[in-house]
Amino acid sequence: MSDYVSLKNLTLAYGKTVAVEGLNLGVRKGELIALLGPSGCGKTTTMRAIAGLLTPRSGRISIDGRDVTRVPPSRREVGLVFQSYALFPHLSVYENVAFGLRLRREPDLDAKVMAGLETVGLTEFAKRQVPDLSGGQQQRVSLARSLVMKPKVLLLDEPLSNLDARLRLEMRTELQRVQKDTGITMVFVTHDQSEALALADRIVLMRDGRIEQLGTPEEIYNAPVSGFAADFMGFETILPKENGGGQAWRPGAVILGTGPHSGVIRGVSFAGELREYVLDSQIGVVKADVPASRDRFEIGQSVAFDLPQASAVSLARFD
Amino acid sequence: MNSRFSTWLILGLTLTFLIGPFLIIIAAALSAGNNLAFPPQGFSFKWVIKVFQIESFRMSFGVSMFLAIGGTFLALVLGVPAAYAMTRFKVPGAEGVKLIVSSPIIVPGIIVGLALLRYFVIPLGVGIGPALFLAHTALVLPYAVRVVSASMENLRVDMEEAALLLGCTRFGAFRRIVLPNIRGGILAAFILGFVTSFNQVPVSLFLSGPGLRTLPIDMIAYMEINYDPSVAALSALLAFMSIGIVFTAERFIGLSRYV
Repeated sequence: MSDYVSLKNLTLAYGKTVAVEGLNLGVRKGELIALLGPSGCGKTTTMRAIAGLLTPRSGRISIDGRDVTRVPPSRREVGLVFQSYALFPHLSVYENVAFGLRLRREPDLDAKVMAGLETVGLTEFAKRQVPDLSGGQQQRVSLARSLVMKPKVLLLDEPLSNLDARLRLEMRTELQRVQKDTGITMVFVTHDQSEALALADRIVLMRDGRIEQLGTPEEIYNAPVSGFAADFMGFETILPKENGGGQAWRPGAVILGTGPHSGVIRGVSFAGELREYVLDSQIGVVKADVPASRDRFEIGQSVAFDLPQASAVSLARFD
Repeated sequence: MNSRFSTWLILGLTLTFLIGPFLIIIAAALSAGNNLAFPPQGFSFKWVIKVFQIESFRMSFGVSMFLAIGGTFLALVLGVPAAYAMTRFKVPGAEGVKLIVSSPIIVPGIIVGLALLRYFVIPLGVGIGPALFLAHTALVLPYAVRVVSASMENLRVDMEEAALLLGCTRFGAFRRIVLPNIRGGILAAFILGFVTSFNQVPVSLFLSGPGLRTLPIDMIAYMEINYDPSVAALSALLAFMSIGIVFTAERFIGLSRYV
């Protein structure tokens, strides 16, 4: 199946600062893709380029077979839900959702706006003013405002980061439902690997303006290619090998109290079920989670530990 | 106890000096006598009525209104896009432009007026009327740029980007999203500009001539010949007009948020 959204050899820059270099990415129709990475990795820049808010220095962007590299944002048929929601404060909820439809002079405006509000469960808020809404409600209005335009691609910038924990779960479910109902192609930007793992069909892990690893959540979670990817996926003990590669262990895989290595406890913190230890050892820094029911090791204490080969993940690159 | 007394004393003195002259003007305006004097001699509305019968006051009031409304309007037409460009785009030298635009606030009016007369009106043969209009526009421009910039800085860029993605052109986004959200700032700038222009004396002094005078200049000219309370009556009327404008503006747009 050919790519619905395709980025070819894309280089993006702000003045002299190159944010993204030579990026190639294909998104399939109806897919939910996460651009994941730390701040400054180029994920938001890439999203802005897809939206047309940033003109690429070089490379091409095409959507549904049409080259849109030079097409202005207003004619790309791309929706964007901003991190700050970017609702129009001088307009009511209804008018916010109706905004793009009115510009297009679409028939059956009222029915379409109300259907849009229905999708996000806000029909009774139509007459409200934007500043009267909570953050979660504003985000849903923003989502409805983009969805009613029936965009070919919906972009979401950190869609869950401004919400509290309970709303975050609710919104996550909502996004999955909307995606399933509408079959829309979605690209969302996040710095939170758990969000990416939970929502995305495929994850694009970015680092310094390039793609570090691309794969399904399972692939990236279970088989990171590099120390950077492993670190992002929760492997906290990452050790080099002679060939330039490395090995990584999750904190739960490290065995404390017995084993061939020894280290000194540098820190310990209580996390309910578990105690999280940080050890200094000859082979490097090791992090280990141990059930809190076991005896507690004290800071400064020397402890034997084991890094079982069976639970190690091998990395093609250590860095 | 002592500090409380001094608080009231300072407050009382401040109010006296702020409001006192205004009260004296009102009292003098309602005098029945023939000279501008305080305390007033008797009580009458005849000087207030007289104001409306003086032909030159009616003319110069018209001139001042035209300058204040037209000049401020032109200053906004120039100033709003300038403010937009300077806050939105990293224009090289924007700080310098802001400083130049603000210079009419910094440079004394006498100098501005003299310079305009000597190096603009006389050598270029520009008429007094257009020169006066341009001078008032320039004087008001700093308020237009600064007040509007301030309210534009509070406006998030991503709202405009959202409008672009919903199908607006850049200009459409400005008209549909930016303008409605800086309406208060524009109105505040208009009122400040209006009051500044209306009360302007030094620049207008150099650019007035026979048949073309702003109201404040006309009042000075009138006082040189006639020393009757009609000037006090006119002053009181103008003060009430200013109070009315500011009060209305505060009521509807919360002027004090912008200045």
